[in-house]
Amino acid sequence: MSVYLDNAATSFPKPKAVIEASGRVLESVGASPGRGAHKHAREATAIVAGCRRKAAAILGVKDPDRVVFTKNATESINLVLKGWLRPGDRVLFSAMEHNSVMRPLTKLASRGVNIEMIPCSIDGTLDLGIFKRMLLSDVRLVVLVHVSNINGTLMPIAEAAEMCARAKVPLFLDAAQSAGLQPIEAEEMGIGMLACSGHKALLGPAGVGILYVRPDLEVLPLMEGGTGTHSEELEQPEFCPDRYESGTPNLPGLAGLSEGISYVLETGMNRIRDHEIGLAHYLENELSKIPGVRVFKPETRGSGTVSFIVEGINPADTGNILDQAFDIAVRTGLHCAPLAHQTLGTFPEGTVRVSPGFSTTMENAEYFLQGLRWIVTRRG
Amino acid sequence: MNPGAYWKEGRMNTVEELDNSVTPASVGIYDRGGKKIEQTQWVIRESPVTLYLNDREIVTLLCAGHHLDELAAGFFYAEGFIVSPDDILGIDIDEEAGKVNLSAKGEASVTERLWQKRTISSGCAKGSLFYFSLDALLSKPVKSDIRITPGQIIDRVEDLNRLSETYRRTHGVHNTALADPDKVILFREDIGRHNAVDMIVGHVFLHGIPLRDKMLITTGRLTSEMLIKAAKVNIPVVVSRNTATSLAVELAGSLGITLIGHARAGKFTVYNGQERIDVGISG
Repeated sequence: MSVYLDNAATSFPKPKAVIEASGRVLESVGASPGRGAHKHAREATAIVAGCRRKAAAILGVKDPDRVVFTKNATESINLVLKGWLRPGDRVLFSAMEHNSVMRPLTKLASRGVNIEMIPCSIDGTLDLGIFKRMLLSDVRLVVLVHVSNINGTLMPIAEAAEMCARAKVPLFLDAAQSAGLQPIEAEEMGIGMLACSGHKALLGPAGVGILYVRPDLEVLPLMEGGTGTHSEELEQPEFCPDRYESGTPNLPGLAGLSEGISYVLETGMNRIRDHEIGLAHYLENELSKIPGVRVFKPETRGSGTVSFIVEGINPADTGNILDQAFDIAVRTGLHCAPLAHQTLGTFPEGTVRVSPGFSTTMENAEYFLQGLRWIVTRRG
Repeated sequence: MNPGAYWKEGRMNTVEELDNSVTPASVGIYDRGGKKIEQTQWVIRESPVTLYLNDREIVTLLCAGHHLDELAAGFFYAEGFIVSPDDILGIDIDEEAGKVNLSAKGEASVTERLWQKRTISSGCAKGSLFYFSLDALLSKPVKSDIRITPGQIIDRVEDLNRLSETYRRTHGVHNTALADPDKVILFREDIGRHNAVDMIVGHVFLHGIPLRDKMLITTGRLTSEMLIKAAKVNIPVVVSRNTATSLAVELAGSLGITLIGHARAGKFTVYNGQERIDVGISG
């Protein structure tokens, strides 16, 4: 049996419709969307527009033009942080952030932006009390991860968004792990900016990221270039999404993402979430029963991602054995989130991360547990 | 010390085994000017021996060809294929064909899949010191209260040197001994230092000899494999008259093993675990 338990990195397998849509673009469409008036180009443009409508729908954004496509969530995050923050600005971020946030923030700190961490509890939950106090003085931006990529902790985003709204500070939500799993009503919640991946719970191929920017927020683009619109002007268009979408977009990726979002909407986000979180609860409980295994449970779970260690064995070794002896794919180490691992007390070796997807079965979960029990028993 | 006393107890190589380990060879010895002396010299025997587990071929070792039951048991135990002496149903040795089949209870297919599989680092965290997955799984820090005086260490190394008749005759073997602070308990020699250690491991495994209060003395280099083998069977002190490698020193630190090299001419170097060196009562 081959078991893939690394859906927090990227979902696999993709729905058949996703594979077919991407393949069809490469085979039969093959044009650059928004560029040219021939039939192929028109079809390509329609595919992108359709994907944009679906992305807007699933993120709770009324106007699809406020949804921007990038190459990944990291690009979306860089765009916002570097296009919004200026030297002297104060930005707050949680102690569970990914390097996609921390590395651009660290770079900005070297350019005079003041970065301040909001502490989280040992399971990764945001400390709302301290957060409230930190919001009292001048804050230009708050960056929060919605769901932890390490242990699936769900952040109290509704409360945080309300506090940000009262303080008139834009909230920038990193929804890389939550988009497609957690209901998101970006406009209704008053979220300022939102970044997410297309290839995780939205089930699209890698190579597409999504960004939402509230109309009142003046975020500068990361780059300028051809958009297929207002080509007579040398200045970058000011309207969304063209302002942020320079260069030929990833049409096969967008065609696949469009089908991925359809799959989520048709299957039902609740059903997918219940399946993955149900498996996570089962895995957590069973792992907790194995002597020498320590599970890092979240207080409130937002995804199926489970993190644990086997005492005395480097997580990388546990992952290697699961892969080599049992053909089970898990992710080990720091998961590009060293700050979050410091919060959980698992730095520098990190954890073994198991992230089931919608196609993961109970039989797969049992097989994984058998493999892990073998490791623990053999370790003695 | 009289090595013969140990042989009589059946815990050392017997004289017959020593005779089987060496063979005469007619050689010509030349000097720079081309002057030649015809001579007969002893050379160490080298034989390929293939180890089978439940009739499945696992590995072929080049060895001196003796103590094959211990070699097989030690190899399969140290490599994680068998866990307890009770697992062993029988060891069939065909010396002529160079085959040893160890019949064992239990399922070793998972271990077989893992054996010799290189660990792969993702570069996303502080990685493993081990380069084989099975070693990472089976090597645990050694906990031991053993204390040894410098004099005892030097005496046991000298015991090892005295015990190897074959080395004196051929200069072609590695010697390994298991000792407690006061005496050598077991001595084995082979063309490969790993084989000699596997024989020791096999013997103590088959006879249920506890190792937490023992030291392993070898003539070979102190490499990571030696440390890993010691950790797998809970030997707290490893000594050699040879030198240690960087990875061996690093592993000794993480596995809690006292690592001693350059043990010769009345001196030794402690790379790790000096707390086990008892200088208070050293004579």
